[in-house]
Amino acid sequence: MSDSEKWARWTLGVVALTIAAYGVFVAFLGHGPATSAVFALLTLTAIPASSRRYFKGRRFDEREREIAHKALRAGFSAFWLAYIGLIFAIGIVKGWDANLTAPVWVFTETLLWAATLIWGVEALTTILLYRGGPRA
Amino acid sequence: MPNPEPEIANHIRRLRFEHGEMTQDDLAKQAGVTRHTIMALEAGKYFPSLLLAFRIARAFAAPVERVFEYHARESD
Repeated sequence: MSDSEKWARWTLGVVALTIAAYGVFVAFLGHGPATSAVFALLTLTAIPASSRRYFKGRRFDEREREIAHKALRAGFSAFWLAYIGLIFAIGIVKGWDANLTAPVWVFTETLLWAATLIWGVEALTTILLYRGGPRA
Repeated sequence: MPNPEPEIANHIRRLRFEHGEMTQDDLAKQAGVTRHTIMALEAGKYFPSLLLAFRIARAFAAPVERVFEYHARESD
């Protein structure tokens, strides 16, 4: 298994753990700033040494680089789709001229969900592409 | 549905055998890639760039067309 695959599996595990912990926190504490604390688990993504391979002087070869680029693009595409979907959902539900007021934690939590989505899709795409066919 | 034959086939595994059972790791070092990429090439899971194709051919001291084969589809 390559370093990139190990990184992807680890990251996917961290994302799953974060989502599970979020569910538990919401169940016991409800939505709020305290629940946002579970996103601190995302810092675990920095643990695998492979994520710092550039700083250790190691380089991707052409296949690894191609897969990394595709995975990153998939992550940001998912973010973009979610962003557009959210904008349309708010506009349709609340009306396009509505004024929204929300606590700051909603804003920060939204950003953290976006990061979770990007990492999750990037990691999943990496695993799928390493298992994939001639175009991977 | 049967898998169509890949457009680019290669003889890397056979050539490694013919070159004193060269290991994937040795070939990877000579070609400047990881062993996983050599494994993916041999399994037909990855089509190399022109540069990598030439590097691999050079490792076998063979012309690139002896290592890689292009199978044109009817639509080509």
